Amino acid sequence: MTADLGQVAAASPEPTAGTSGPEQDGVPKRPSMLLRTFVENKLAVLGAVMFLAMVLFCFLGPLVYHTDQVHTSLANQNLPPGTGHPLGTDQVGYDVLGRLMVGGQTSLEIAFGAAVVAVVLGVFWGTVAGYFGGLVDSLMMRIVDSVMSIPGLFLLMFLATVFRPSVLMLVLVLGLLAWLAPARLVRGETLSLRHREYIAAVRVMGGRAPRIIFRHLVPNVIGTIVVNATFQVADAILALAAISFLGLGIPPPAANWGGMLSDGLNYTYSGFWWLIYPPGVAIIVTVLSFNLIGDGLRDAVGLRAHRHL
Amino acid sequence: MISFVLRRLLQAFVVLFIVTIIVFILIHLLPGGPARASLGVQATPTAIASFNKQHGFDQGLLTQYWTWLSELLHGALGYSFKENSTVADLLIDRLPKTALLAGISVFIAVLIAIPLGILQAVRRNKIVDYIATSVSFVLYSTPSFWLSLILVLVFSVNLGWLPAQAPQGSISEVLLQPSGLILPVATITLISVALFSRYMRSTTIDNLTQDYVRTAKAKGAGTARILFGHVLRNAISPILTLLGLSLPFILSGTLITERVFNYPGMGLLFYNAAVTQDYPVLLAVTLVVALATVLGSVFADVCYALLDPRIRYARG
Repeated sequence: MTADLGQVAAASPEPTAGTSGPEQDGVPKRPSMLLRTFVENKLAVLGAVMFLAMVLFCFLGPLVYHTDQVHTSLANQNLPPGTGHPLGTDQVGYDVLGRLMVGGQTSLEIAFGAAVVAVVLGVFWGTVAGYFGGLVDSLMMRIVDSVMSIPGLFLLMFLATVFRPSVLMLVLVLGLLAWLAPARLVRGETLSLRHREYIAAVRVMGGRAPRIIFRHLVPNVIGTIVVNATFQVADAILALAAISFLGLGIPPPAANWGGMLSDGLNYTYSGFWWLIYPPGVAIIVTVLSFNLIGDGLRDAVGLRAHRHL
Repeated sequence: MISFVLRRLLQAFVVLFIVTIIVFILIHLLPGGPARASLGVQATPTAIASFNKQHGFDQGLLTQYWTWLSELLHGALGYSFKENSTVADLLIDRLPKTALLAGISVFIAVLIAIPLGILQAVRRNKIVDYIATSVSFVLYSTPSFWLSLILVLVFSVNLGWLPAQAPQGSISEVLLQPSGLILPVATITLISVALFSRYMRSTTIDNLTQDYVRTAKAKGAGTARILFGHVLRNAISPILTLLGLSLPFILSGTLITERVFNYPGMGLLFYNAAVTQDYPVLLAVTLVVALATVLGSVFADVCYALLDPRIRYARG
């Protein structure tokens, strides 16, 4: 569901304020400098704060605000916000606020899991393709192109039809759809890095491919990877919400923001706005925070090419 | 240029070939294989066995792939028992409607995004830019189905101005009820504008810092002439490239929007097929969508090469 504009935007980089590339003379930027650039970017800090707030809300919230998310209570269905239920109840009686928290836990866990899978797989694929180049690179990139040709949502829906949805399955499927962008980016970076002198030096000293890849190439693409991983989490949350909304996510009583909206769809005409606004706002806030953090990280690391948005 | 286009088409061909392999693997992922896919999950073993024999599925995988591929190239996309029609007919009915929805949305989005992006670039880091950027960011982080729900809630339920369901029927019937198209188009347009205007903004900023703009100004050209005569012209190619690459994004957005508004396009067809496990339809739509995406990216690369001659002469 996202457009990978990395290649396109590589030709038209946005000038940033005096920051240089991810490395200067082969040495990655000092962490303190990265942190300082990040903190100076107000939007990025806002994103970080939003993210922390969301994590606290989802994971610590239920400890403070107890609701029953397992047993339905039809007597309490579709109550508007009022005493006892700050955001009302849904059509089987679950408290909406509590469900937002639990749903958030699932969403965040799955999204993070998927991003990890995507990054690990993408880095591996990208560095191997970029380092070996030639025919290996061509073939590996054609495979990436092919999988990328099938829009993620379609493939996701197809796989969700075949395999029974569970947390693990969603993590794997989302990850398998998301590894393409990091693979592309990492391969691009590797292609430019492998001609640096220090790589030649390692080879002269007898270093073999695995060592070069893991000890030297990967650390230097960490910047790109981290930025991309942040955007992957944002995309994964949206994809998970979409797939749950379409009814192909984890079945109840597991809570999920997208699933809550799918229920809300049925009650749009009744005007039960509390079924619609809260989950949407939760999704927007979370995704926005990741996009802001990612943008801030990208500026901090000094990447001008490989834009995501 | 010609050799570049030919090379690119060859690459696309290879990619499509691999896509067919992927789809073929997908068919065989299903428990019960292609027989189950066509006959449904309740087929008896005898029916499956005779189906297999009839279509040659009891032979080696390579032979199967070859048979399937040649059937495909002859236009036999399968038969859907759930919809009681050949898949090809279903596609012919549904594809124009999705194209209409996507086409109108993208057209309007580009019409809004180009001036908006240029405005943001010219007034960079001023109030207008900040507001527009913030709105873009929020829109980009919004799930499209939620946006649709909010639009329906506001415009259909609360204000009663627009119908909540999209027009039904064939493409000619759809065109007769334009009011039902407004909300679906608005959803896709809003999210696309967020993406396109951001890109347009950064492209224009780059163009404005180029030497040729300084030269034009030194020669006495006014702002309008610079913007419209030079910057806009140089922005057309990247925008086309962007369009080509955003095709998967737009198609996915169309799928969700069609579901919310019950618009009888290819997206809704795919969704219904997913719910009813109608595999021939699922696979055919996947192929069509993949084809569209590949063609879109070839188009994008060609536009990109038109912009930057260095790309044409580089290897591969």
